[in-house]
Amino acid sequence: MKILVLNCGSSSIKYKLFEMESKEVIAQGGVEKIGMKGSFLKFTLADGQKVILEGEILEHRAGIEYILGVLLSEKYGCIQSLDEIEAVGHRVVHGGERFNESVLITDEVIEILNECIELAPLHNPPNLKGIYAIQELMPETPQVGVFDTAFHQTMPDYAYMYGIPYSLYEKYGIRRYGFHGTSHRYVSERVCEFLGVPYEEQRIITAHIGNGGSVTAIKNGKSMDTSMGMTPVEGLIMGTRSGDVDPGAISYIMEKEHMGTNGISTLLNKFSGVLGISGISSDMREISAAIESGNERAALAMETYNYRIKKYIGSYAAVLGGVDILVFTGGVGENQAVTRRDVCRNMEYMGIELDEALNDAVHGKEAVISKPSSKVKVVIIPTDEELTIANDTIKILEKG
Amino acid sequence: MSEIIIEPIDKYGLTISSESKKKQLFSKIGVVGAGKEGRTIINMAATAGMEVVFLDESQERIDYVMGELQKVMDQKISSWGLTPSEKKIIMNRITPTLVYEDFKGCDLVIECTRYSESGRRSTPLRKNIFKRLEEILDVDAIIASNGSTVIISELAADLDHKERCVSLYFPVSHPDARILEIVSGMYTSEEVYHKMEVFARLIKYKPHRINESNGNVSLRMLGVMLNEACQILLERVSSIEDIEETFTIIYGQRYGIFRMADIVGIERLVTLMEAMFNDFGVKHYKPNPILWKLYRSNQLGVRTGKGFYIYDNDGNPVSFNKNIV
Repeated sequence: MKILVLNCGSSSIKYKLFEMESKEVIAQGGVEKIGMKGSFLKFTLADGQKVILEGEILEHRAGIEYILGVLLSEKYGCIQSLDEIEAVGHRVVHGGERFNESVLITDEVIEILNECIELAPLHNPPNLKGIYAIQELMPETPQVGVFDTAFHQTMPDYAYMYGIPYSLYEKYGIRRYGFHGTSHRYVSERVCEFLGVPYEEQRIITAHIGNGGSVTAIKNGKSMDTSMGMTPVEGLIMGTRSGDVDPGAISYIMEKEHMGTNGISTLLNKFSGVLGISGISSDMREISAAIESGNERAALAMETYNYRIKKYIGSYAAVLGGVDILVFTGGVGENQAVTRRDVCRNMEYMGIELDEALNDAVHGKEAVISKPSSKVKVVIIPTDEELTIANDTIKILEKG
Repeated sequence: MSEIIIEPIDKYGLTISSESKKKQLFSKIGVVGAGKEGRTIINMAATAGMEVVFLDESQERIDYVMGELQKVMDQKISSWGLTPSEKKIIMNRITPTLVYEDFKGCDLVIECTRYSESGRRSTPLRKNIFKRLEEILDVDAIIASNGSTVIISELAADLDHKERCVSLYFPVSHPDARILEIVSGMYTSEEVYHKMEVFARLIKYKPHRINESNGNVSLRMLGVMLNEACQILLERVSSIEDIEETFTIIYGQRYGIFRMADIVGIERLVTLMEAMFNDFGVKHYKPNPILWKLYRSNQLGVRTGKGFYIYDNDGNPVSFNKNIV
């Protein structure tokens, strides 16, 4: 059985085709620069050969059509007919308060998704375009929506409410929603499988750290709190996003720099975080290189970045009343030993004892990196959002 | 590993073929004359993802215009409004030219020529531009003029397809003034008007329909208010500072009325107000003597560095112009 997973961004589409019996990825790639000059479809063949198809791709529908065309093609394809694709799973960024789990996409669901556009004006419209395109090109194929926000819908109200007038929550749905839900869910379930412990009885903190990042507190399989908020800007310091900033400072900056809402939003989303502090790059590898050559601002950026993660882990330990497992995932979480080390340093008081040698040795694979004596198991679990989406898709098909 | 294979995507479509490919509306537009307003339009259209071809009179002008476009984007980058990679993408969409033939395939060409630095525009010259555009463009392409004076019906009169002509006014007061005044002339068809509404939304402007009338709405109101403010100043009822604060503080405007006049351009306002006076015969449109004084002494506002205010090289006001009264 084959499942196609689509992740439609504002000017890009990523895809993976899974053979679900073996959980194998049989085709993957992506379309970039949709609607711009120089758009292309890029994919890697089974033997590692990279292929780029160049040409005009004006909108998402065309992008998806070319993806299907390549999958069907004699030269690069792996299926004979579109009927072989049992279902399509979509990553949907914002499900608002209406979706607490993945759903079969129906007309009603599409209607609700349209209502959620206001909450995620950049992300939901392309997600919807992807859904419409599949409706048109593969009308008989069921589609499933998997939401970034759904996993966090179990947060208690006191965790998701902001300290602002309640009427704003009622009027605009202003509250914490949280993101990366698919990843937090996958790695927290997976780590329990990996350690052979029951998921429903664990206190887990998952740190998904990449270019964007969030930390989640999970108790007995349910998200209790997470660092991203109504938008993905809150919480950790990220590649170019600021994370937590005093709201008073924001209005002050707007006044001093004569900034409008667009300006401040760009400032906080694209010019802040590690890039903003270091003035060098948003890429942690370049930051590491700059630290090596003695750049102080790069060192400061790294320290601030790590410190913020530590702070969230500490506060979530308080939320959970102790921790059983700490998971690192995401590009940086899986590969950057120094961040894991700094985050875990001096945390013995709460039961975290990192095995530094082990920590340095492991890159991007499942592994326990705490000492045997550590009360808290510190574990690296590479995330696999696409596989989770494919698994959800199958589950929903079987259900209904 | 072997090298990356690169080939064209066309043959991998299921329903898309080169014949069936529908051209997206406003995927390519043109601008004739890249003065300040022309450059604003080029910048906005390219930012919105359109390919923009602009024509100017010489290679030196083109180099200057490209430099100015870069400068505006660099300023935006330094105020955190744009990233360097976004700038690269946007600049890539802009193509300068010296020949009308390069407008072939445009859905819309906007004429923004200025006859002279004093701001006067030449109707015969603009008519000529309209004619040349008609020779090159497809029959359903729209020909627009940027301006606020009554002209579009006159410019359209000699064309074979008069219904395709429309006039536009982009308010210049501040970057958030995103209302596009779309002026239907005598011949403008409903279809063309509606297409221009689509264009407005694509560049993130709110369209306002205007029935051809001198000054449209925004500048007509500004002209009258400005006249009144000048008169108050002449009668020594109050000072420039206090009149400005009346606008900014009491009426909550971003800028005072004199600053606004400097931004729009004294030459533009004087010409327009004269035209309104001639059209309507009403005295309150007649430019106040202070405006004439500034106009004749070439103190035209931000663009010339002097108007009601004195400006530095970046166009920021340094002080009031003490010589006004």
